Amino acid sequence: MSNIPLNIDWQQILLHWMNLAILVGGLYFLLFKPVTQFMEKRKAHYQELEDQAAGKLKEAEDIKAQYQQKLDGAEEEMHEARAKVQQAVEKSTQEQLAEAKKQAAQIVAQARAEAEHSKDKVMKEAQRELKKLATEAAEKIAFQSDVDPFDQFLNLAEGGKGNESR
Amino acid sequence: MGKHKKALIVCAAAVLLLLAASLLVGSHGRPETVQEAMRDAVLHAENRISLFGVKSVNPGLISAFVVTGILLVLASLIRVFAIPNFKFVPGRFQLAIEEAVGLFDNMAKSNSPHRHGFLGAYIFGAGAYIFFGTLFELIGMQGTTTRGHAIALPAPLSDVNAAIALGVLSYLVILSGGIAGNGFGGIGKTLKEFSLPISMSFRLFGALLSGLLVTELVYYYLVLSFVLPVIVAVLFTLIHALVQTYVLTMLTALYYGEVSEPAHKAKKGKAQEA
Repeated sequence: MSNIPLNIDWQQILLHWMNLAILVGGLYFLLFKPVTQFMEKRKAHYQELEDQAAGKLKEAEDIKAQYQQKLDGAEEEMHEARAKVQQAVEKSTQEQLAEAKKQAAQIVAQARAEAEHSKDKVMKEAQRELKKLATEAAEKIAFQSDVDPFDQFLNLAEGGKGNESR
Repeated sequence: MGKHKKALIVCAAAVLLLLAASLLVGSHGRPETVQEAMRDAVLHAENRISLFGVKSVNPGLISAFVVTGILLVLASLIRVFAIPNFKFVPGRFQLAIEEAVGLFDNMAKSNSPHRHGFLGAYIFGAGAYIFFGTLFELIGMQGTTTRGHAIALPAPLSDVNAAIALGVLSYLVILSGGIAGNGFGGIGKTLKEFSLPISMSFRLFGALLSGLLVTELVYYYLVLSFVLPVIVAVLFTLIHALVQTYVLTMLTALYYGEVSEPAHKAKKGKAQEA
């Protein structure tokens, strides 16, 4: 033992190790562990508070986003409704216009038909009257032989014209 | 202002009185020469202390036991009286305790991110031992040698056995980290740093011993015992207590982190393929 330089003593080194083991173990259980546990506990507490705050913030942001979405939806709905109304109005106008045109065409057609009909009627009547006048004139010519038949016809024809103008 | 003047006068009077008394009483004479004292501070061949009558040991071992006792008593008091009253918003004392524990815990976490539970506890204990052990020599606690001389107990780590014990234990802790993290690969990694126990042991021993020798030298001569010890003892001791604590704990944490880091075999394989 005494031959080792610097008076190194293995027995004393072992005693120092024992002393260090007691010190490290004692300080770990008495100071290090409780203090680190406390610090972890505090960290967890503040972490929890932070998480809660972050959760609430997220919740608020979600609600805000929901309302924003609803607001956007409402605006879109309004646009859609307006477009629908415009379409309906346009459609109804077109329909009415078409109906009016149709009615006008019908009225025109009917008027034409009526005009045609009354024209035919007048023509027929005129023809009938002409026939009648011609017949009467022929009768008169035949029965009044002292009068020039040509003059009689003309006289009758003039009298007939006066009737027609009335 | 009047109060300050009075206090100043009282202080000056006390200093003069003590100076006169020390000069009048004189020294009873050292039992050893300065050479012997210096040699004994290194080798501890003469001034040994009996350990419970079983064995005569170096004074450093007694200092180590005393430091451990004081630290454990203080820790028990803090555990019983202070820790149960800890608050989320700390006061000054709580802050100091939390800073001390957090310093070593964070050092372990930052230097050894993969495995740091045991490391944090070890460097906290070792750091407290070095720091308070070094400051212990400031107390100047008296011990009686086997030859009946009174000596001031030195810092535990100025004893080569204590320095070797702490250096080698730190190396063994690093080795345990290597084994826990990498198995046999960890042993290989740790053995690569074979000079570490010697360098850590003798760094501690050298630093503490130099402090001890300077202090021994200063106190040996009565003339040097005025004013100078304020700088030599307090300032130097404080500085090297801080420095040695930082150096050993940081080195232990660094090497522990290095050897306990899991090997990335897959990555290496890919890199080789590339």
